[in-house]
Amino acid sequence: MLSANTIAAEEADQAKMDGRELYMSYQCWQCHGYEGQGGAAARVASKDYPFDAFARFVRHPNMMPAYTPKLLTDDKLRLIYEFVRSIPEPPPLEDIPALGQK
Amino acid sequence: MKKSNDKRENLNRREFLSSATAAGVAAVSITHSGPAGAEEQVEQKAAAPGEEQLAMEYEDPAGYSADEIENFFVKHPGSDFMVDVVQSLDFEYITTNPGSSFRGIQESIVNYGANTKPELLTCPHEEQAVAMAHGYAKVAGKPLAMLAHGTVGFQHAAMAVYNAWCDRVPVVILGGNHADATERRGGVEWAHSAQDAAAVVRDYVKWDDAPHSLQHFAESMMRAYKIATTPPMGPVVVMLDGHLQESGMGEQKPRIPKMAPTLRPVGDPVAVAEAAKWLVEAESPVIAADRMAHDQEGMDLLVTLAETLQAPVVNLRGRLNFPNTHHLNQGRGEFARADVILGLEVNDIWGLVSTLQDRVHRTEKRNARPDARVVSIGVNDLYLKSNYQNFQRYYAADLSIAGDAQATLPSLIEAVQREMSRARRRANTEREEHFRAAHAKRHAQSLDAARYAWNASPVSTARLYMELYQLVKDRDWAMVSEDRQQSSWGRRLWPLEKTYQYIGGSGGAGIGYGAPAAVGAALAHRAEGRLAVNIQRDGDMMFVPGAFWTAAHHRIPLLTVTHNNRGYHQEFMHLQRMASRRQRGVDGSSRIGNALRDPEPNLAKIAAGMGCWSEGPITDPNELAPALKRALDVVENGEPALVDVVCQPR
Repeated sequence: MLSANTIAAEEADQAKMDGRELYMSYQCWQCHGYEGQGGAAARVASKDYPFDAFARFVRHPNMMPAYTPKLLTDDKLRLIYEFVRSIPEPPPLEDIPALGQK
Repeated sequence: MKKSNDKRENLNRREFLSSATAAGVAAVSITHSGPAGAEEQVEQKAAAPGEEQLAMEYEDPAGYSADEIENFFVKHPGSDFMVDVVQSLDFEYITTNPGSSFRGIQESIVNYGANTKPELLTCPHEEQAVAMAHGYAKVAGKPLAMLAHGTVGFQHAAMAVYNAWCDRVPVVILGGNHADATERRGGVEWAHSAQDAAAVVRDYVKWDDAPHSLQHFAESMMRAYKIATTPPMGPVVVMLDGHLQESGMGEQKPRIPKMAPTLRPVGDPVAVAEAAKWLVEAESPVIAADRMAHDQEGMDLLVTLAETLQAPVVNLRGRLNFPNTHHLNQGRGEFARADVILGLEVNDIWGLVSTLQDRVHRTEKRNARPDARVVSIGVNDLYLKSNYQNFQRYYAADLSIAGDAQATLPSLIEAVQREMSRARRRANTEREEHFRAAHAKRHAQSLDAARYAWNASPVSTARLYMELYQLVKDRDWAMVSEDRQQSSWGRRLWPLEKTYQYIGGSGGAGIGYGAPAAVGAALAHRAEGRLAVNIQRDGDMMFVPGAFWTAAHHRIPLLTVTHNNRGYHQEFMHLQRMASRRQRGVDGSSRIGNALRDPEPNLAKIAAGMGCWSEGPITDPNELAPALKRALDVVENGEPALVDVVCQPR
């Protein structure tokens, strides 16, 4: 029998996976990169913001196309939010020799 | 019967042409000596004719009737003189895809001119041939010549001509044509002839002509070169009539006029003094520079001006005008704070102070302060054409000075120094501290941003740039590609301190510029012993991959690393924007028409097929550095190499 914690963890993993799939299928990667690192638009990974702020950013954006609940439901948006929040921190600068100062 | 008894036939042909031209060629010497490094290209050179060969050329061959001699052979073909004219202008190379409409001059270049200065560079496409000349000129500071086939060659070349026009780069295009309808062979020669052959590109060249005589040709070449290299620079066209090329010179005694370059126009001194006053009095002056620096002197002058004013410089994308390691190198955010904005060769002055939102209703918004005054120094107003709209939105600058910005900088610096009071110098010191801190902060932010997705597959564009930089940093390197589509990592993280280290983009945003322009730029760097580095976009490479064959064939060392995001990524985003605006089209419809998948083009194999060393596709970031090292070894042996890297979108 699985413990409640195990079930919760599996559900969280499933949510992250679903969120990644949604992040890809809704084309978030185009501007924000496959890992949320940014590119044509801002980085969304490893940033500490509440869901409400994230939703405002997606629904009523400044630059990017607006994604309405008709296109992207709140439930799906939340899964995307959970995914981008779950993207791990990159290595610190000191662990990346190629980013050392000239 | 021999019709001509011209005494000149007793002369060596080169002696004849030299003596015919000497009177008018004070600054020009007709030489057949090879350029530095010519030994590397020895297989490309035709041997200069020896005495025996020359005797053969000037004597009537035995065993032929006079009529046969008249019909079979030609002495002193007009295209030999054309080569003398071309050589007098000191072109190092002439790029071409071969075409029968210029077969006369092609033969003269390789046999009469010994394929030296200019040396013919074989290109599998005319678009490539022009784009190579485009990239070359931005590094070498002088134009290449390009030979275009009549009608079809011009149509292939047109896109690259437009890019050069928008980017203000000189290219001297020589076009074949058979003007006289009664002289055309049936069939293809008609299809490759036109009544007005340069019309197809006339909207985006500075000048063109179709000479009717050799003397006309010589004068038009001088005029063309002069116009092309006078700011605002741009491509020019001179047609080579087939009859003129192939016929003997007969009684014509053409001479080569002296080439007298036009000095760059300098801004009006009274207006320059007024601009200096505004800049010195300003609390927050900002300098924007676009296609400003012609050479290192331009950058050095701008550093002097900026330091004197302690004014931040926003280096727009046209050229590298200012070192990005300098504390005054700042971002576009400075425009919002400025009370005086100085634009140096900025094509889009309106865009410095305003933006137009990409929304259903394209509303414009002023980003600059309402009281900000704008000074423009540049040559934009001196030459425009109507049809193509690359001149951008009209803006009524508060002071608009017509003149080449680099040529005007010395007088502007002098005027600024005259206006500068002690109090102002003290205030500037405070600015200096502010900008040093801001510059350091921006650099730290860029380094921090580069960490994200560092270990990702596909490879992050930041990692692509920085692994590459580690390899090249101790060499005399030059980037020969634009980095805008890779999150500008080159300009954010590579120390760019020499004008030749970054040459901007295509100008007209016409895809197909990247690979050939990189090869052309690498050709110019080869003469200086520099390592040319090209970050190559996959979509661009699919247009004219033959550029890599030219690099391999002519032994042009170039290190190419692809930013392969498997598609025309800019268009992905445009399509998604349209779909979202219309409340539809999620789940990947934006890949249709934009993705380069199914099958995925194998760029390494394409390069290999062109005779270029290659490796890839690389998807594991840990495999990147070793592959780059192997490629660098090839390039350091004088060959081109390509590493295909599957990357993040931007």
